[in-house]
Amino acid sequence: MGSAEQISQLTIDGLMVGALYAVIALGYTLVYGVLQLINFAHSEVFMLGAFGGLFASRALVPAGATPSGLTSAGLVLFGLVAGALAGAAAAYALERCAYRPLRRRGAPRLAYLISAIGASLFAFNLAGKEFGRQSVPVPDLFTNGTVVTVFGAEISTQSLVIAGTALAMLLAVDHLVAGTRLGQSVRAVAQDAECAGLMGVDVQKVIVVTFVLGGLLAGAGGFLYAMTFNASYTMGFVPGIKAFTAAVLGGIGNVRGAVLGGLLLGLVESFGGYLFDASYKNVIAFTMLVLVLLVRPSGLLGTRLGRPA
Amino acid sequence: MTGSPRTPRPGTRRAGVLRPVAGVVAGLAMVGAALTACGGDSNESGTKEFLIGFQGPLSGENQQLGINAYNGVLTAIDLANRTGGLPFTLRIVASDDQGVPEQGPTAAQKLIDNPDVVAVVGPVFSAPTKASEPLYSQTGLLSVSPSATNPKLTDLGFTSFYRVIAPDTVQGAGAAEYLAKVVKAKRVYSLDDRSEYGTGLSGAVELGLKQAGVAYAHDGINPTKDYTSQATKIMADGADAVYYSGYYSDFALLTKALRSKGYDGAILSGDGSNDDQYIRQAGAANAEGTLITCPCSDANTDPAAAGFVSEYKKVNSGLKPGTYSGEAYDATNAIVSVLRKLGTGASRESVLADFGSVDFPGVTKRIRFERNGDVRGSTVYVYEVKDGQRVVLGPVSSLVKP
Repeated sequence: MGSAEQISQLTIDGLMVGALYAVIALGYTLVYGVLQLINFAHSEVFMLGAFGGLFASRALVPAGATPSGLTSAGLVLFGLVAGALAGAAAAYALERCAYRPLRRRGAPRLAYLISAIGASLFAFNLAGKEFGRQSVPVPDLFTNGTVVTVFGAEISTQSLVIAGTALAMLLAVDHLVAGTRLGQSVRAVAQDAECAGLMGVDVQKVIVVTFVLGGLLAGAGGFLYAMTFNASYTMGFVPGIKAFTAAVLGGIGNVRGAVLGGLLLGLVESFGGYLFDASYKNVIAFTMLVLVLLVRPSGLLGTRLGRPA
Repeated sequence: MTGSPRTPRPGTRRAGVLRPVAGVVAGLAMVGAALTACGGDSNESGTKEFLIGFQGPLSGENQQLGINAYNGVLTAIDLANRTGGLPFTLRIVASDDQGVPEQGPTAAQKLIDNPDVVAVVGPVFSAPTKASEPLYSQTGLLSVSPSATNPKLTDLGFTSFYRVIAPDTVQGAGAAEYLAKVVKAKRVYSLDDRSEYGTGLSGAVELGLKQAGVAYAHDGINPTKDYTSQATKIMADGADAVYYSGYYSDFALLTKALRSKGYDGAILSGDGSNDDQYIRQAGAANAEGTLITCPCSDANTDPAAAGFVSEYKKVNSGLKPGTYSGEAYDATNAIVSVLRKLGTGASRESVLADFGSVDFPGVTKRIRFERNGDVRGSTVYVYEVKDGQRVVLGPVSSLVKP
């Protein structure tokens, strides 16, 4: 292991990617909390959101130009909002077309899984067809050269913006779930949907809100991810699996658990990739998941939150 | 898509309720016939028709390199049909291998199964070439790669394989010479993508560095989106130059990661990154000043290739030739020169038997082959990204002169 500089560099890189994993993981965890269902098409919501933000920011930035200062910040915000809206639309459509009809019929759990995989393949192939099969970059919103030094770690403005935005979103969701009336009803449905319904909570509305909330986060996260790693129709799969891992690691159904799991996974990957070999990143991440689950089957912060809706 | 669906003869449709159904069936059959690339022996006007196969990535992450080559083949065929005065017509039939070895044999088999294909241009990438060539050799179907540069490919005993591009031993030696004498690197970080192409190139670069007395570190990384920890590793290593042996979509992300950490050494890659897509995906600001070596010249700035460039633009609706377009054009013309000699009686066997003695001036170089299928005498060029454009600095041999 190298010097303190490298340790802080790897920590910061890990936290940046980890925060993005956490943002996506919230979508898995929220839906699982409410419906006891793993939304396997969530990774495509992430991908579609990234393209939404990408096209929006492309429309405003002429090719080759690198805007500066406030313009950049404004463009990031615009891309984020567009990405979030695209993600939310995709998540809503998913709930409406792939899950709601099944729920109406009281279909078995397995049907949801098949439906999710089908919807995921559909979105994946449609995106490949529509957006091309090459990676597409988000316009350069920041000159990469501007670097801030924190404990010897060199950080580009872009990394700072990404990590900052992701953390702000995580805090906002935590507040939403823990401290608002809407969050209260989400938690009530998660705990016991039938009972919550009897107490006057509109269960259907809560389910839609949960999906849309997860979609907003995944879409905005997708845009942030594409700023560094470019967008492509295949981009959803790996981060999706990682975020799912993060959600399970933290204890699926638990909002703070998902954040903890995401950050931890990012750190483990960052250090693991440095110490061993970058190609082992995924191996290391999943080994850690298995080890944690052997010791704590419900994840780090996990308690079983509710019964099937 | 094999087999040839028959188009129903007009006038045989039944009236009444069956009519719409028959119409749909007829429509589908016609679409099928149009999509199926199996022509008869002769076209409508009765002249003999030969098919030239193309195998390369027409979809997938690095498809641009395949498309460049495909357009080059198309240009050569179009030109030959229009002005060649040939006693036969030529047509291209494409087979997409996505640039991955798993798809190689399937793509090759598709061309082999088509009896009208007399020769193939491709495969474009090294890994699919290694996977496909056993099939071509078994059936004696000539394949001429415009761009598969892995050095070992011509040592594996394939009997029908030729390439019009120099192997990576040539490119690696050139790159190492450039790193040692022009970049004046003290220590080079050689990174490959662990592919057939990447490992071949990185091995050749490292051999050249060793001979030039330049220290180097070797590392391999499977294509991944996240190069941040790899970039930290490179920074910690203290190397003053990075040479990446892999394709542009990964080189773009690696460049991005290095620049975001403020890496100030030289950043280089090989012919797999030699495409404008690299600049697009890395971002013009990040790509600025990075260097690319290629055993290929840039047809767009080569006065000797002006005719080719204008034909290419005409055939491909205004597009400029890209990396491997010129090589694919030359490979096709080499095949056409053999067909011209053999006339309408040409067969797979006779084309393969005569190809070794090809000797004609191509747009990229004079096309003559060694016994093992390698093209004779090649130059390595260095490109630099300047103001968001790839610019040829010149051949390594002229750049290292004092």
